[in-house]
Amino acid sequence: MKKLKAKLQALKKVDYKKAARDFWYGKPHEERRLGDLYEDKTGLYKHREWRGVKDTLYYFNNIWLYNYAHMVTDVVKGGDPVAFLKGTLRYRWMGQTYLTVMHWYDRGMEGMRGEALRATAWHYRAMTSETIRQFTRMFAADSKLHGGKKNALWYKTLAHDETVSGCIFYPWRDVIDDVPLQMVPYFVSVHVNSDTVLHYIDAVQSIGLPADPCPMCQAEAGIFVLDDYPDYSPLMVTTNEACDGSVATSILQDWFMNKPLFAMPQPMRFDDPLVQEHCQREIEECWRFIEKHTGIPFDWNQYVKYAERYNQLTAFEREKWDVAANSPYYPISGVAQALYRIYYSQDGDRQIWHDTDKKVRRIMEKCVREKIETFPKTRHRAIAWSCAPLYYSHWCTWAYNCWGINCVINMDSLMFDQDLRTDTYEHAIEDLAWFNEKAPMRAMAVGGHDHIFQLWDYMERFHCDMVVMYDQLQCKGMQGIHGMFEDEFRKRNIHAIWVPHALPDKRTVSRGEIRRIISDYMTTVMHEEPLDPSLVDFDDSMSW
Amino acid sequence: MMKKILRLAGKLAAIAAAVYGVLFAVFYFDLDGKFLYHVWIPFVNRRYEKLERKDVTKTPYGMTVEKAE
Repeated sequence: MKKLKAKLQALKKVDYKKAARDFWYGKPHEERRLGDLYEDKTGLYKHREWRGVKDTLYYFNNIWLYNYAHMVTDVVKGGDPVAFLKGTLRYRWMGQTYLTVMHWYDRGMEGMRGEALRATAWHYRAMTSETIRQFTRMFAADSKLHGGKKNALWYKTLAHDETVSGCIFYPWRDVIDDVPLQMVPYFVSVHVNSDTVLHYIDAVQSIGLPADPCPMCQAEAGIFVLDDYPDYSPLMVTTNEACDGSVATSILQDWFMNKPLFAMPQPMRFDDPLVQEHCQREIEECWRFIEKHTGIPFDWNQYVKYAERYNQLTAFEREKWDVAANSPYYPISGVAQALYRIYYSQDGDRQIWHDTDKKVRRIMEKCVREKIETFPKTRHRAIAWSCAPLYYSHWCTWAYNCWGINCVINMDSLMFDQDLRTDTYEHAIEDLAWFNEKAPMRAMAVGGHDHIFQLWDYMERFHCDMVVMYDQLQCKGMQGIHGMFEDEFRKRNIHAIWVPHALPDKRTVSRGEIRRIISDYMTTVMHEEPLDPSLVDFDDSMSW
Repeated sequence: MMKKILRLAGKLAAIAAAVYGVLFAVFYFDLDGKFLYHVWIPFVNRRYEKLERKDVTKTPYGMTVEKAE
C-alpha cells in the first residue's frame, strides 16, 4: 500500500508537458543519459535510444529495417546465396561480423539527430553495400567453397592487398573484378566485431612472429596462418604500405598462397623527385604481371573511364571538406567521415559511392541552405591525427555525446588528395604514382616528418582548437616522431590529447582506457563538466 | 464482394501492423543484438573451433604457377 502511495505521489510530480515534449522531440542532450542504456560489460542495449518520434522512426524504418532487408536482398542479388551460406559457416570473419553489423551502426550513430543521422547513415549503408559486393564476389569465385574447383569467376577476379589502391586495376575493370583480400576479413571485421581479429593476431604469433610488429600486418598474415582466406584469384598483388611489416606479410602470403604474387613497393620518402620515375615503372611492371597471368591486355580506355569517374568523387570530397572547415553545418559524423573516405579511396571507383554522394550532397546543401547546426553541442572542434584505433573508431561519437568534442576531420580523410589526369598516358601514370604514394600510412605516418607535420596547416584550415593525437604503440614510424610532436604542441600552445592504442588489438589499450584518458584531460586540463555524465565511466569490455 | 475485399484488406493491414509492431519491439529492446550475442556467436564459434583447417605452414616455400585459361 505504501509503495502504491509512493508511486502515486511520484506520478503527481511528473511534468506531463515536458514528458510529452521529450517523447515527441527526444530529450535535450544533457538529459539523455545514454550510458544508462547499456547492459554492463556487453555493451548491448537494455533498449535502444528514444530519439523523439521522427528520428526514432527514421532510425527504425530507414536504417534498421532498411539495412536488414538489404542484407538479405543484396546477397540474393549477388546470385549465389548458397556460397554466402557456406562462406558464413566457413570463415570466422564472416560469421562473426555480418549479422552483427547493425550494432556497428548503433555505436556509430548514438545520440545523433536530424540531418547528421541521415547523412551518416548513408555513409554506413554504402560501406555495407560495398562489403556485400566484395564478399559475394569472393565467395562466388572461391575454390574452397566449390569443392576445390576453380570456376570461370576464379580466373576473372584479381586479389590484392587492401593497401593497394583499386585505381591500379582500372584498365581491367570491365572484364576482371578486383577485390582487396583483407578489406573485409580484417579492416571491416575489426570495426564491426573487435573480437574476431584477435584470433588472427594470436595465430601468427603462434608460429613464432614476435608480438611487437604492427598488429595490422600481424592480423593480415594471421588470416593466412588460420587458412581463413578465400581462394578466389589466380594471382595476388601486394605492397609494402604501411611499412616493413607489410613486406613481412607479403612474404608470408607468398609462402601460404603459393601462387603468382607481385609486391609493388612504395618508397618511404616518396616525394623525392628521384623516385617518381621508379614508382611509375613499378606500376607498369604490375600491369605487365596482370597481363601475363590473366592473358588480358591493358585497356587504356577503361583506365580513362574509371579514373575520370573517380575524379568526381575527389571533387565532391573537397566540397565536403570546405563545408566541414568553414561552417557548423557539416552533417557527417567524425567516424563516418573517416571510414567512408578511407574505404572508397582505397577501394576505387564503384557506383555505390556516386549514388551515396548524390544523397549526401542533397542533405549537406540543405544544411548549408537552411543553416542547420548539425552538432549543436560542439565545444571543441578537433582534428584526429595519425592512425585510428580500429576497434574504437566510434570514440568520436562518444566524445561528442559526453564532452562536446566534435571531430571535424582526421588524417585518414586527407590522404589520396590527387586528381588523376587522363589527357596523356604520361600524365596518367605520373598522377597514378602520386596517388598511390599518398596512401594513408605512407603519406602521413611513415612518409617523412614534413608530411606528418602538415597537421598544423590542416588545424588552421579546418579551424580546429584541439588535436586528438593517436599513439599507435606498435608503429615504429610514429613512435619515432612522438617527442617532436610533444615539443611542437608545447611550443604552439595546442591542446592535444594523446590516445594510445594498438590499431586492431583492444587488449593493449581498452576502449574504457581511451575514454578515461580523454575524460581526465577534459576535467584536469580543460576544467570542463561532461554534457552527459552517464558516459564518463561504464564497462563495455566484453562488447563487440 | 466489396465487403469481402474490405475485410481482407483489413485483415492484411492488421497482420502488417502486428508484424511492424513485433519488429519495432525487436528493434527497441535490442532483441536482435541479444540473440546474436548470446546464441548466434557462441554457435558459430563452436563450429569454427571444430573446423578442420589446412596447416599452411606445411606449404613448401616455392612457386607453382597456375596457367590462366
